[in-house]
Amino acid sequence: MPVYKPLTRDLLELGIMGDIDLGELVFRHVLIGLLCLAASCWAQPEAGVSPVSIQSEVKPAPVLSGGLAFVPTWDGGNPTLVSIVSPVLLVPLGDNLLVESRAAFEGDFQRRNGNSGDFTGAIQKSLDYMELDYLANRYITITGGRFLTPFNIFNERLYPNWIRNTQTDPLIFPIGTGSDNGVMVRGGIAADTNLTLNYAVYFSTLSNADHFESERHVGARAGVFLPRERIEVGMSVQHQLQDAHLSRYGFHLQWQPARIPLDLRAEGAYSRAEGNGLWIEGAYRLRNAPSSVLRRTQLVGRAQIFDSGSVPGINASLPSTSMQRAEWGVNYYLNDGWKALASYGRTFAATGNSNIWTIGMTYRFVLSLGREP
Amino acid sequence: MNTFRIGIAVLILGAAALAFAGSATKPSKPASVSSMDSPNESDQQWMIEGEKRYRANCARCHQPPHKFPPRTMATAVRHMRVRAMLTEDDVKYLLYYMTH
Repeated sequence: MPVYKPLTRDLLELGIMGDIDLGELVFRHVLIGLLCLAASCWAQPEAGVSPVSIQSEVKPAPVLSGGLAFVPTWDGGNPTLVSIVSPVLLVPLGDNLLVESRAAFEGDFQRRNGNSGDFTGAIQKSLDYMELDYLANRYITITGGRFLTPFNIFNERLYPNWIRNTQTDPLIFPIGTGSDNGVMVRGGIAADTNLTLNYAVYFSTLSNADHFESERHVGARAGVFLPRERIEVGMSVQHQLQDAHLSRYGFHLQWQPARIPLDLRAEGAYSRAEGNGLWIEGAYRLRNAPSSVLRRTQLVGRAQIFDSGSVPGINASLPSTSMQRAEWGVNYYLNDGWKALASYGRTFAATGNSNIWTIGMTYRFVLSLGREP
Repeated sequence: MNTFRIGIAVLILGAAALAFAGSATKPSKPASVSSMDSPNESDQQWMIEGEKRYRANCARCHQPPHKFPPRTMATAVRHMRVRAMLTEDDVKYLLYYMTH
């Protein structure tokens, strides 16, 4: 009776692929898939409508944007006054270039003796990204410089405090995220009127320079977005080209049902050595409530799980032990820029359960640095 | 050796992307919105399509922003084209919708 063997196993036995682990094998397959995707774009024009362009009528101006946040947090009874200023500078050049940069100034002020004494702490300064984007054509943008690592979506899209629905970072956030120095190719492709593909492939180099720290990585993320259903699913892979040569895998989901004002988001991450976990978050805006106060209110819930990996402590930013966390909160949108928030969460771990409270305000600003017509 | 192979794969992908970027035809030369059948009708179609794409794309991550001045908005949508990986058509419709 014939025994089923995957093709990859045949190739391994034939010595064609050499001694590689399963993770690297998956990683290579994803890269090959992206290559095929890029090749297919070459041959096929974009389907659907062909709108006329009005971009040439509006010359983009430099913009200073960003967010402010003051979000005191009580984790296990110990208060931390989290204060963040995060300016974003956008400088468009010509028709196809954009210089963009974001810095962060964060002060996490804690009491000297845990929950008594003066609040003290230093202001941490970081350069999240400083990149040059070249819009090569309708399918490809080439990015060089320091960029946010496109691993899952929280790091790139949801990180700013004025955007995120729950203020604490997800437990799995330190897996594969941060900033990288290198080059990236990315883009969005409308394959059909109801199907958009997006991709990002990047390579980063090692840097120990102050505020420009980066690991040597190669990685990719690909997503499929259905605009009519408002669902996006995607996956990420990353291979570390230094130290422990870790392989990391992630998936993400975003869904906004058209009929109800619900934002559903989820991410998962796996790294054999570091750990694995997932989070799922739902945010319901009371848009249909009779009162205008209620219509500005959003109810949020998030559940998380994290399991530590085979080498505890290899990533110091991750929790030191396996844990689960459940959080509930309320966001109140005062206007487009201001948001008030409060949340409560409970962490369950073998080392002991604890509460985590947050309350605060966030603000988003946008200032044009050019003359408007 | 494995690192070398991965590097080669990335280089191939990068080369393909660059070649593609160089060979692809540029978007068609912009025409005036008023060149469509009926100015009012076309404006309305653009607004409807723009709002549809606005709800599908912008609200995926953040609460709907109010409208900014045109040049600011043009920069914001270029930023979002990179960050949120919007398509070129998304950008055109969004810019029209957000500046009218």
